[in-house]
Amino acid sequence: MPSSLPLTTIFPATAPAAVRPVDDARSTARPLPAAALWLHVHLPQLPLEVLTRGMTHSRACVLVQGEGSRRKVVMANTRAAALGIRAGMLLGAAHALGEIVELERNERAEQHALENLGLWAMQMTPLVSLVPSDGVLLEVRGSLRLFHGLDGLLARLRQGLKQLGYRAQYAVAPTPLAATLLARGTARSVVQDSHDLGRHLGELPLEVLRLAPSERAALDSIGVRTLGECRRLARADLARRLSPGLLELFDRIYGQSPDPRAAMVTPSIFEAGLELPWEVRHAQALVTAGERLLLELQGYLRAHSAMTRHLRWRLCHGARYEERFDIRLTHPARDHEHMLLLLRETLMRMTLKEPVTSIELKVDDLVQGSPAPGADLFGVRHHAQGEAYATFVDRLRSRCGSQALRAMALQPDHRPEAAWRWRQNDEPVRRGGIKTLFADGLNTRPVWLVREPITLPTEHGTPQLDGPLRLVPVRERIDTGWWDERGLARDYFIAKTTRGSRLWVYKELDGEQRWRLHGVFE
Amino acid sequence: MPAIRAGLPSGFSALDNILPGGGWPRSGLTEILSAATGIGALRLVLPALARLSREGRWIIWVAPPHVPYSPALHGYGLDLTRVLVVDLSEDEASARLQTLWAYEQALRFDDCGAALLWQDRISNLRLRRLQIAAETSSTWGLVFRPASCASQPSPAPLRLEIEALPGVLASASSLHVSVRKARGAQAGLHCQLEL
Repeated sequence: MPSSLPLTTIFPATAPAAVRPVDDARSTARPLPAAALWLHVHLPQLPLEVLTRGMTHSRACVLVQGEGSRRKVVMANTRAAALGIRAGMLLGAAHALGEIVELERNERAEQHALENLGLWAMQMTPLVSLVPSDGVLLEVRGSLRLFHGLDGLLARLRQGLKQLGYRAQYAVAPTPLAATLLARGTARSVVQDSHDLGRHLGELPLEVLRLAPSERAALDSIGVRTLGECRRLARADLARRLSPGLLELFDRIYGQSPDPRAAMVTPSIFEAGLELPWEVRHAQALVTAGERLLLELQGYLRAHSAMTRHLRWRLCHGARYEERFDIRLTHPARDHEHMLLLLRETLMRMTLKEPVTSIELKVDDLVQGSPAPGADLFGVRHHAQGEAYATFVDRLRSRCGSQALRAMALQPDHRPEAAWRWRQNDEPVRRGGIKTLFADGLNTRPVWLVREPITLPTEHGTPQLDGPLRLVPVRERIDTGWWDERGLARDYFIAKTTRGSRLWVYKELDGEQRWRLHGVFE
Repeated sequence: MPAIRAGLPSGFSALDNILPGGGWPRSGLTEILSAATGIGALRLVLPALARLSREGRWIIWVAPPHVPYSPALHGYGLDLTRVLVVDLSEDEASARLQTLWAYEQALRFDDCGAALLWQDRISNLRLRRLQIAAETSSTWGLVFRPASCASQPSPAPLRLEIEALPGVLASASSLHVSVRKARGAQAGLHCQLEL
């Protein structure tokens, strides 16, 4: 007696207690809850795509399995298929057809990719459930209006999956299992009414059920090849020949017993990574992989109605080498395009010390809310200027460094070098707060301050710069700051060079009594 | 005669009289060529910059030669919350290219009223790019250069040359301003200002 175990592991019925034994499927058909409409996204190439989708200019890649001379191609990408390489071919034969990249299956990466795809899909519906090992189920009835009907939703999904680097087959049906089987069997079937299920499912080959070999052999032995043929067997016969599990499975497929699915629970931080099919030496080559991760992030943020202002990136080569960098945003954002622009700028000026084979993105500070013209770099709210401003500031910072763009503030201090300071990036602005102590006369302070005062040579006691300086006979004595050990005692003068430049110079009252240039008036 | 868009009042009536449109342009490049540094090129534009900043537009200083001194700028009426300084590390080999790149970003930034640059050597091709950027985003691009650049042809629609006049007093400066080039207006006009 074949065991029913494989069925329950592949199609877990989360509420077995609710299953009602029924004698005749057709006569006791119960109406389904009208609300449910399931969309299954089937990723036939997932094992290969998780390894190649980080690169755009694709080479011919094949997934291989087996040992030694028996190594076989189990999957080939479009480039490899164009060379005539097919699944099942011996690796040696495949190599004879052209230059190919051999890749080993990475099931952990597949699992992560599927989870992240599920999180991404949650922007379309809160009820997303994973179907191991290559499918994602979405309950979409409640989302149809938002996407202007099923066509709108499917168009959005198709475009999104393409941008993420996946080739998918999908189907829509009133029960989750029917959607799954249809998606595996044929591309793009849409069955909205449960009465049509029999007609659409009947022709599907039994492969879509992914039965255990023993169950498959039992059905083969009685000449059953399709779902329809299988269903036409007497129920008692089916249960006897195979297992009660198979009966129960058919009830769920056709909606005669409930098949509740647990919705994915979303983690509170976003983490995603991409394996690269080969070593990457130039950071610029990581843009495509980064874009895929940013698209996943965008879906995750949409599902959470959240935004972020801090992207944490990590590039690595196994445990051998790692490179971390952060991208900070002026405004919390969700849109991947702006983030991509910044990533591209950052990667452009980055030099990798060693080649890398994976890229990861982590976001753990979520800001609740939706994009709106927000507070600016310095905490001031400016209406209708958010976008352009953020683009400018973030671009400049990612290319030239976070300290490259600065704002200034006044400080109430008599010492010229302490009467101003650079403002910190996140410091809020106090409008009209601090006034300069020298607002009285425009001609007493220069428009330029020399970063480090320059000592001037003197001749007969007169300071020189392009010849002797002419001093205005009015001096301003600044003798202050004794309380914090940065005290100074100086006599300031306005001086003019022979070429007409007006300067701010001082004579030290202590120590060496040097003449020094401190500013330019113009 | 085509209507000329009203210029930005410069704060000096003698200067407004010789500028096309009766004031500074609100977009495109303006070159100010100085016979010597520190004679008043910045003072010439400060009243207009103050006005732009109070209109809520950004004033962006790209790699200035010294620290723009905020107590004085505040005194001239500049809204300091609208002032940004692009401060690039000097030791970087690509600093000049980086500066020009940053300047172009500032010109392309729609909410930027004026972007200021101090640069001697800029190729004509690059100037043309900057001019297009400034014109399309309505940003006033101010480029401060030495008078020796006057002989290099330039796509900037407005070029002024300034020269300090020997003044009697060290406390004030007299400036001679002449229009080297003005698109849509007569070149060769000049005036004298007391700053």
